[in-house]
Amino acid sequence: MRVLLLLGLVAGFAGRLTAQQSDRVGQAQAVLAPLVESYGVSGAEAPVRATVERLLPQWAKKKAETDTAGNLWVRVGKGDPLIVFVAHLDEIGFEIKAIREDGSLEIETRGGFFPSLFEAQPALIHTGTGIVPGVFMPRDSVGSKPERAPAGFRVDVGTDTRAATESLGVRVGHTITMPKHYVRLAGTRATGRSFDDRVGCAALILALRRLNPERLRHEVAFIFSVREEIGLEGAAAAAASLGGTPVRVHAIDTFVSADSPLEPQTFAVAPIGRGPVARALDNNSVAPPALVDSLARLARVNGIQLQIGTTNGGNDGAAFAAWGVPDVAIGWALRYSHSPAEVIDLRDVIGLGDMVQAIAERW
Amino acid sequence: MKSRGTGWLGITIVLLAALSRPVTGQSPGAAELAQRLAGMTAVTGYEKAMVDTILSLLPDAKRDRAGSAVLVLGSGEPRRLAACPLDETGFAVGRVRPDGWITLHRSPARGGPPGPLFDQQLEGQRVTVFGSRGAVPAVVAVRSVHLTRGRGPLSQEPFTVDDAYMDVGATSDRQVGQLGVTVLTPVAITKQPHRYGSDRLAAPWAGRRAACAALLSAARDVSKSGGGARGGTTVVGFVVEQQLGARGLLTLATTQGPFAETWIADAAGAGSAFQSAQVPAGPRAALGQLHNWEIPTRYPGTPVETVSLPEVDRLNATMSSWLKGEGAR
Repeated sequence: MRVLLLLGLVAGFAGRLTAQQSDRVGQAQAVLAPLVESYGVSGAEAPVRATVERLLPQWAKKKAETDTAGNLWVRVGKGDPLIVFVAHLDEIGFEIKAIREDGSLEIETRGGFFPSLFEAQPALIHTGTGIVPGVFMPRDSVGSKPERAPAGFRVDVGTDTRAATESLGVRVGHTITMPKHYVRLAGTRATGRSFDDRVGCAALILALRRLNPERLRHEVAFIFSVREEIGLEGAAAAAASLGGTPVRVHAIDTFVSADSPLEPQTFAVAPIGRGPVARALDNNSVAPPALVDSLARLARVNGIQLQIGTTNGGNDGAAFAAWGVPDVAIGWALRYSHSPAEVIDLRDVIGLGDMVQAIAERW
Repeated sequence: MKSRGTGWLGITIVLLAALSRPVTGQSPGAAELAQRLAGMTAVTGYEKAMVDTILSLLPDAKRDRAGSAVLVLGSGEPRRLAACPLDETGFAVGRVRPDGWITLHRSPARGGPPGPLFDQQLEGQRVTVFGSRGAVPAVVAVRSVHLTRGRGPLSQEPFTVDDAYMDVGATSDRQVGQLGVTVLTPVAITKQPHRYGSDRLAAPWAGRRAACAALLSAARDVSKSGGGARGGTTVVGFVVEQQLGARGLLTLATTQGPFAETWIADAAGAGSAFQSAQVPAGPRAALGQLHNWEIPTRYPGTPVETVSLPEVDRLNATMSSWLKGEGAR
């Protein structure tokens, strides 16, 4: 009964949407949720790649190829100029660096985040053949004035010896995450972990579903890349294989937003729910101003609400810089990046997919 | 509200398989109840839903004037009490801002948090808001790690409840109100009991919940069998507001006592606060001789407080014997 009541309330919030918009929110959610609930720490993206392949339209599945780096490619259309979209498959997490005699796991981070957000939380060890549950151990001693960040912590899989841990199939090099769920919040908002960059992947899939490949006037490459969080490694491999061929690259990745009472309001002020964001300036790329202006015109002509901003973080497009390929990164506003409780607005996912489609078909 | 993809379904199947694993020597009733109660929330002063659950599982029990669930077995003297505290330190909505952000106040509000990192458990995590129209999912804001770069060192002071901005996805106080969320609505970390190892259960307040589950299971068995053979009166109480001066327990002492002896079931180490000077002498005396049934925990006071389910079974057996007057202590 309570669930029904809350569903009614969500419907009420969404009541400002047209029936068509509500339908599109549902479609976006149906693509995004399974992506968010797939696990893929950098270097172990296979489950996410499999989910992407499953969600592709039938025609695109036939074109999908995985390169030796692990990137998934869908190349569509023919002729110059080649335009590249790249969204990354991987997420932040941990890797096992040693198994102690007492059975606990020594771990190191993969990607940048606040380790305190994982301290004393449930853990999942991804062994490649299954998932072994455990817990991220709280620090041994708290004292009266502890520091916010733990000095380091281990994972307890409920064993007392190294042999018992190994008997569970756990090995050095396996990755560790905490459990995650996609959960709808009020209105068109949602929370989960690894929206960065599953929203980018979802936007590419949504665009592919709406594209008519026969209508494309040039070639477009959709790349779902690996190992972005640990140094754009998958994108670097893709860029090396393409060289200077692309006329532009569009990294489709998070716009880390200051849309929170905790953040200084000096930059990155792009509220969630107001459309995709041109990441015109970030930590490793500056989009050429003329191209940003052109992108804004394209959005306007196609009725897409586009924000333009500057934020922190890098993006896969920067891996193409050595070949002189302009990087016009586009994202969506994200609250609480790289935390277990990232928050988005699903309308931005729709807008981002529309933007990708418009670029592929008309720019 | 909650969409599940196949990835999550896969994990769910694995975890459900873990949950359904038989534990050697384990009373299924106690283990199942421990997991069920560990998934529930009972912020001090807001235990009604938990008490409702206890009453549904223990039909002969009644709600007393403090709000505790109380089962009376037998009659006459001597009078004995077995009690388990239900409540947990948690939070209530302190303010709803016009822009839809929500700030919090701790309950019980007396004193500080149970530990210096207790409030930090909230930061950047899922929480559940128990609104008048049902449970509402929410998160507590955390700074985006990317936006801290190049801005100097971060404070190493632990996160406190005053740093907590709760996000239900609303853009206005009106939207928050439509969810049934107002000032005083209780809030707690989202409870998702987590099984690991061969027999471990991790959850916030898992020790206290497991102790209550053991007592509940024992009380159910004795109640079903007609109250046992023990002479005199045995009162079994699942008490509220233990964290706030032991109000539920003392109400039992003054309304059902005096007792010759009282046994308190809780996580190991949690009973010491009750035996301190915060308990008035008169009601304290009405409890008679005090004893503890304790369940050992790992990682106490954290979101992964861990109990061993066979320990729940052992405690359940001890309690059953005591309720039946089999001389076990």
